[in-house]
Amino acid sequence: MASQSAHLADRKGTGPVATAALRLGFLALILLAWALAARHAPPGLFASPVAVAKAGIGLASSGKLWPALAASLQVYLVGTGLAVMFGGALGIAMGIWPALGRTLDIYVNALAATPRVAFIPLIIVLLGLGLEAKVLIVFLGAVMPIVLNAHAGVQAADPDLLEMAASTGASRGRILWHVILPGAVPFLITGIRIGSTIGLINTIVAELYTAISGLGGLLAVYGSRFQMAEYLAVVIVLALIGVGMTEALRLVSQRLMRWRDV
Amino acid sequence: MALNATDRLELSGVSLTLGDQPVLQDLTLATGRGEVLVVLGPSGCGKTSLLRLMAGLVEPGSGTVALNDAPPVPGHGIAMMFQSYRLLPWKTVAANVAFALPDLPRAQREDRVSEVLHLVGLERFADRYPAALSGGMRQRVALARALAPRPDFLLMDEPFAALDAQARELMQAELLRLVGASGGPGVVFVTHSVDEALVLGDRIILLSPRPGRIITDMAVPFARRPDPHDHPDYPALRRTLWERLRQAVLTDPASDFYRPG
Repeated sequence: MASQSAHLADRKGTGPVATAALRLGFLALILLAWALAARHAPPGLFASPVAVAKAGIGLASSGKLWPALAASLQVYLVGTGLAVMFGGALGIAMGIWPALGRTLDIYVNALAATPRVAFIPLIIVLLGLGLEAKVLIVFLGAVMPIVLNAHAGVQAADPDLLEMAASTGASRGRILWHVILPGAVPFLITGIRIGSTIGLINTIVAELYTAISGLGGLLAVYGSRFQMAEYLAVVIVLALIGVGMTEALRLVSQRLMRWRDV
Repeated sequence: MALNATDRLELSGVSLTLGDQPVLQDLTLATGRGEVLVVLGPSGCGKTSLLRLMAGLVEPGSGTVALNDAPPVPGHGIAMMFQSYRLLPWKTVAANVAFALPDLPRAQREDRVSEVLHLVGLERFADRYPAALSGGMRQRVALARALAPRPDFLLMDEPFAALDAQARELMQAELLRLVGASGGPGVVFVTHSVDEALVLGDRIILLSPRPGRIITDMAVPFARRPDPHDHPDYPALRRTLWERLRQAVLTDPASDFYRPG
């Protein structure tokens, strides 16, 4: 858990301000290394931070970036959102009904280990090249870690608390809602975090392998034309999406697990 | 759960086997509302299983368990308290207590929660999470939760064993104050401490090592007196109980202290 490690770090005397300063310092280091590398690379293969920044501003002001960003976010968020709903529900169901869990476990693991890219031709045959196909590719990538972690979270329910709940005469629904699910939250958040990372990767894969579109489409265009500044600007936009998602999840988990930090 | 002076919890000829291990053997006993019945016995003698039977969480292999002539149903007239506090860490103190009151309308539930929190002296901590409380306070929350539904019987599984000596003594006095009030529940209190048994019990049952049988069933002559330790019968009674407990352990082949012959 990021929140836990931050908590530990705080105890050792590294406050949030110091952490932010260290992060900025490291960013400066990266930019410096990047600038040096760009200076010594053959022209056309790499771009300096300044050139990338200029290209990024150009993409934003020319209006090329926004429709691509919107298209990618649509694919990413719909696919990942469906994966959270379906994967969470399936994983929880597998935990609640052990027979279902034992039956499906091996298939979920097999599917999780199979490179989902292998399904793309099949998906194209079934769904074509449009939004549905892209969303399915993202969904398939994001759903497996969510299923596996939700399943593990329910299985990890504290037997002492379950017995306590049973002794109060609580119904199965009440035990699920008040005992099992809150205990599974850290697992669910972990699953969603891993799933959303794979989902973002699969968004780009989908945009490259089906109808070219979105940020993946821009990567294809600029990559093939060796417009490295624009290309890297798009890469940075993708990194920012990833950071944004991670931060959002961190805030959600902090909100859900307030009870830890008292 | 109406007040009923004749509430009775009865076991007759109860045996229990878990897997192929006989745990309890031919137990017959009865207790009523208002009595503190202490179950004393060596580790692993089936004390916890006995409470689970009484709570309706497990069914006996043979014999019958009855609360007012019907098999006990979890949460109906019976509340449990455990050695580990078993509070839901993601719920506030008030919400933990309210967890035992699922069927009450909201307003009544809130009233009852503040009532029992007041009873255990924790109303100021209603909005805290368990992580912010000491062990003694957590166990008082667990006690409030157990008392909230006004059970006929309160089943307690070594509830004070994890507390430090001072907190334990204070909690013992607190328990006697709460159950001694009129309309208090019957209590079945499991412990492995002879002293705790003598301080709390109106009646003490001594169980043999596994499979648990009743070796001794005796009334405590100084029950509910202030300062039971100072009563003239205390040392002799303590010695008798301790000697029987010791013999039971020393002659049990499954015990760490078994001495053959």
